Amino acid sequence: MEIQSVAAEELRLPTRRRKTRYRMIASFKDFSLVCPALLFLGVFTYYPLLFSVYISFTDWNLVKPAKKFVGLLNYEKLLTDPKLYHVLKITFVYTILDVVLTLAIGLLLALLLNVNSRVYNTMRLFIFMPHYISMVIASMVFVWILNNQYGIMNKSLSLFGMEPVHWLDSTSNAIWGLIMVSLWKGVGFTMIIFLAGLRGIPVEYYEASSIDGANKWQQFLHVTLPLLSPTTLFLLITSFISSMQVFQSVDVMTDGGPLESTKVMVYWIYQMAFRDFRAGRSSALVILFFFIIIALTIVQFVLSRKKVHYEG
Amino acid sequence: MTAKQIWVPTRLILSLLVTLLMVFPLYWLVITSLKTPAELKAAFPTFWPETFAWSNYKVVFQSIPLARYGLNTIIQTVGIVSLQMNVALLAAYGFAKGNFWGRDKLFVAIIAALIVPEQVVFVPVYVMLSKLGWINTYWALIIPHGASAYSIFLLRQAFKSLSSDVMEAASMDGANRFRIIYRILAPMAMPTIITVLILKVISSWNSYFWPLIMTNTNNMRVLTVGISMFKESFPGMEMMSYHLIMAGSVCAIAPIVLLFVFAQKHIVVAMANSTFK
Repeated sequence: MEIQSVAAEELRLPTRRRKTRYRMIASFKDFSLVCPALLFLGVFTYYPLLFSVYISFTDWNLVKPAKKFVGLLNYEKLLTDPKLYHVLKITFVYTILDVVLTLAIGLLLALLLNVNSRVYNTMRLFIFMPHYISMVIASMVFVWILNNQYGIMNKSLSLFGMEPVHWLDSTSNAIWGLIMVSLWKGVGFTMIIFLAGLRGIPVEYYEASSIDGANKWQQFLHVTLPLLSPTTLFLLITSFISSMQVFQSVDVMTDGGPLESTKVMVYWIYQMAFRDFRAGRSSALVILFFFIIIALTIVQFVLSRKKVHYEG
Repeated sequence: MTAKQIWVPTRLILSLLVTLLMVFPLYWLVITSLKTPAELKAAFPTFWPETFAWSNYKVVFQSIPLARYGLNTIIQTVGIVSLQMNVALLAAYGFAKGNFWGRDKLFVAIIAALIVPEQVVFVPVYVMLSKLGWINTYWALIIPHGASAYSIFLLRQAFKSLSSDVMEAASMDGANRFRIIYRILAPMAMPTIITVLILKVISSWNSYFWPLIMTNTNNMRVLTVGISMFKESFPGMEMMSYHLIMAGSVCAIAPIVLLFVFAQKHIVVAMANSTFK
């Protein structure tokens, strides 16, 4: 009865008002569809981000409920701790080596395997596959391959008359163990993305430049590289961010050792929070680290603005 | 011989060498899992086991609750993927076809979440979930991953490229938004949906950091965490048990390798298209 009378009321309304009302309801319904996503990201990303900022101003031991407000003390303690600079250095060294090698090898592989045939398709798949193997399992396989005494790596070196190398228990080589796993998992992905970029370069550019007398090397320098630059920038930024956050391989292969020579940022954060239960200090470190990553990402964008050529 | 005659076979040989190098660790993983402890310590490693020690697999299943880890991983993966997919489908419709105040600004806010790594939020989320009593439950593994900015982004792109004509015709016929999303838009955007599905299955299956922190009992562990703990359970002695560790690892990655083999075409196309252009 009531519904009918509401409907009748509605019909009596002037057309324009009915239209705006209809539009408002429609836009509210549209909005409600994005609400679940907003809710999840709000509760599990944005709120925790703000809460981390708050915790970072407190002296809070995770196992005790009391939070004592200490202002900037956590940041002060961190910035005067020589360990921060050690960990930052390790993280940067790892990131630079990892990013440069992954991109360089990925590009070389893309150029090498840029052939359209069944055999090459299959080879590309095999090279790409490790990207989807769990980092934890990959790290365990490399622990075995790099074992000083029984590992296939040292056994192979001995075939060439080389002395066995200390890998994961050496302060200078352990980081290379981490990089090896990362390369194994990463170069296939960079190769695929570079290949997509290579195929997007119009053939006319090569034809035009070869008419002008450019050789292959000049074509690579003046056609291929500039036109790949948007792809390169994408890969640079994404692999920079993921290398900075390296954790799994460290946790499985080195535990940050030997003698903290592979203690990277996320591993330190994890230890501080879940071994030492220092939520306040570790949150301060998280916030500091977060801003370092954002700042350096922006720097990469700005520096590359002049170098990146978008077509047209 | 011309330069081309030399380059073609050289290129093939170089490519084959790279392929062999990349496949080797996986090959080594499987071969090691089938060796006897004595063969592990051979003076020079054998590339084909003298005897296939299938019993290694039996021993692993007896030493750790591998089946339970597998079940936990499946529940985690199915839970995350189905929740994320539905949340993303609705949001993608809202952002691509919907019309409301602040739509594009909100979309930017969603995409911005991509730069917040899970290591930044895990302490507050851990505290929140432990207050709810969710630590060591499937909720803790699934619910925090309810929305993926990446999936929303990809699906929105796909929906945007679809013409609105069919949609409008359907809505004239009285179809509501859910019907339009699930019956009309989703089938048309199937390639993108399959892409997102595969990528998310793989990343949920392989996740490590989150389940490591959110669970601490043996029967709630997922495969990645369980096998890493299995390795830790032989302090200093792990090299003597590597055949077992590798057998467990083979079980953990087998579903992903199978998925890769069956869905390879989708995966490669997906990867090439999923960069933010």
